[in-house]
Amino acid sequence: MQTTTGAAFLLRDNVDTDQILPGYAMSYPPEKLGEVALAGSEIPDFAKQVKPGDVIIAGENFGCGSSREQAPVALKASGVAAVVAGSFARIFRRNAINIGLPVVASPEAAAIQAEAKPGDRFQVDIENACIVNTTQGKTYSLTPLAQSSLETLRAGGLMNKVREKLVARGEKLQTPA
Amino acid sequence: MNIIERMLAAKAGLGHVEAGQEITVSVDLALAHDVTAPIAIQQFRSIGATRVYDPAKVVFVMDHNIPCSTVDSRRQHRIVQQFCDDFGTKLYNRAEGVIHQLAFEEGLYNHGDIVVGADSHTCTAGAKGAIAIPLGSTETAAVMALGELDLEVPETHIIRFHGEFGPYVYGKDVILTIIGRFTTNGFTDKAVVFTGDAIAKLPQSEKMTMANMMIEMGAMIGYIDQGGEDLGEPAIVHDIQASEIVPVAACPASPGNVKPLSDVAGTRISQAVLGSCTNGRYEDMAIAAEVLRGRTVADGVTMVVVPASKRILDKMEENGLTKVFRDAGAIVTNPGCGPCFGAHQGLLTPDDVAVSSTNRNFPGRMGDKAAQIYLASPRVVAESAVAGTLVEPGTVVREGK
Repeated sequence: MQTTTGAAFLLRDNVDTDQILPGYAMSYPPEKLGEVALAGSEIPDFAKQVKPGDVIIAGENFGCGSSREQAPVALKASGVAAVVAGSFARIFRRNAINIGLPVVASPEAAAIQAEAKPGDRFQVDIENACIVNTTQGKTYSLTPLAQSSLETLRAGGLMNKVREKLVARGEKLQTPA
Repeated sequence: MNIIERMLAAKAGLGHVEAGQEITVSVDLALAHDVTAPIAIQQFRSIGATRVYDPAKVVFVMDHNIPCSTVDSRRQHRIVQQFCDDFGTKLYNRAEGVIHQLAFEEGLYNHGDIVVGADSHTCTAGAKGAIAIPLGSTETAAVMALGELDLEVPETHIIRFHGEFGPYVYGKDVILTIIGRFTTNGFTDKAVVFTGDAIAKLPQSEKMTMANMMIEMGAMIGYIDQGGEDLGEPAIVHDIQASEIVPVAACPASPGNVKPLSDVAGTRISQAVLGSCTNGRYEDMAIAAEVLRGRTVADGVTMVVVPASKRILDKMEENGLTKVFRDAGAIVTNPGCGPCFGAHQGLLTPDDVAVSSTNRNFPGRMGDKAAQIYLASPRVVAESAVAGTLVEPGTVVREGK
C-alpha cells in the first residue's frame, strides 16, 4: 500500500454517518457523492476544501449510526486518503475497508489533534502502523489493522477477494459490461 | 460457550468458538433496501457474478423512499427491480412495510438463524432470537454471492433486568436508559443480550423496540432472551433494577444524551413523529390513539404517523385508529421509513423542535442540522403532541383512562 501525505482535517467525537453523508443524499448517483462529503458536519464545505491525499483525524466513535456505505464512498470520492480516529463504529469501519479506504484507530488521536497546527502535513503509513506530522517531524502510533483488513486493503477492496473465492469454487463469472 | 457463541459455532460448523476467533458463518437471510441495495448490486455486478447464492434467501424491500421522493430515488428502485428480474430474488415494492418489521411479519427468519442486512437496524431480528448482524452494502454483496460471512466472535455482555418496570415505562425508555448509561460506543463490536424477569413479561413489540436500538450502543449483535434459555457464561453481566428506570427522552443531538422526561417537560415542540422500525407497531399506534381519541393535536404542531407495515395499517383501519389520528389532526402516511432519516414526509427547519418515536436524533437527521429532536416512547409523543410541549406521560391522560 502507498503511504499518503496531505493536509489534515480535525473532527470531534461521535461524527455520525448523517453528518458524513446526509440522508437526502443517499439516493444521489455515486459520482456525485464526493460533492456532499461531510455536508452535515461542522465543516459543511469540506468537499470544496479537501484535496486528494488529505486525511481526517477524528475523536472517538467516528462513523456511528447508519450503515450507509455512501458515507465512506463520499469521503473516498472527495479525495480523502485515510481516516485516523480514536475509535470507529463497527459498520463504518468495515464499510471503509471493504471499499479500500484506509481507516485506522490511534491511541494517540487526541495528542495528534492537540499538537497539530494549521497547515501541518501528515503522512499515514498503514503497513507500518504510524502517522507522521511531517511539518513538525513527530511520529505517532496507529493500532495495527487486523490481518484480514490489511488483506482487503491490499486486494483493493472486498469484492476482489469475493471474486477469488468464487473462482476457487469453480463458479463461472461474466466479464462485467 | 455462551448462547451467542453456541449459535455462531453451529453456523460455522465448529464444535467450539471463543471471543476474538475469526470464523465464517453460513447466512440464512440477506436483506437490503432501496437506498443500500443499489451499491450492493453495483458491487455484485462488478465482479461478474452470475447468480446469488440462494434466491430464496436474498430479499429486497423498498421502504426508505416510497413512493419515490426524487428522480434519483426512483432510479434506485429501478436498479433493484432490474436485479430481481435478472436474478430471481424477492422484491417487496408496494409499501408492504419497513424492512425489519416486514421480515418479522413474513416469517423470513427463525430463532438461531443468521440474518444480515444492509441497514443498521437489522439488529431488530434479535428480538425473535436471530443472530442479526447489520452490514454495509459491499459486505451484503459478498454475502449475496457467497452465502457466508466472515466475522470475529464478539465478547458477550448480558444485561439482566430484575423486578418490574414502573408505570409509563416502555421498551423505548428501557433501551434509551441503557444507551444513556453505557454510551453510544459502549458495546462496539460486542454482543449484547437482554434478559431477566422484567424483560420476559414484555410483549414482542417492546422487545423489538429494544433490540432495534442496540446498534445505538455500537453493538455488533443485539439479542433478547427467548424465555428460559441457557445463556451460558458471558464475559460480563450487568444487573439492573427495573423499578429504577423512569420515562426518559434522548435529547439533542445524540441517542446517548438521555434525561428523565421530568427534566425536559415544558419544552415547546412543533412536530411529533410516531412510527418507524423502532416504534411503528400496532401496539405503539394503539397507545398513541388512546391518548388522541377525542383530543386534538396542539396548534403549531404537525403530527406525522407512519405505520411500520401494511398489516399494521390494515389493523389500524379495522379498529378505527387511523380515523382517531386523522380526526385529531394528525397526518397518517403510507408504511415506510418516512421522516426518520431526513429524506421526505416531514422535514424540519432550524427553528423546529420535534419529539419522535424513531431511533436517531443526530444533527440533520430529520432535515436542517440545527433542528432539535427528542426521542421518546409513543406515549410521550402522543401526549406531547396534544400538549404542544414535552410532557411526562400521564399528564394529558392517566393510564387506563
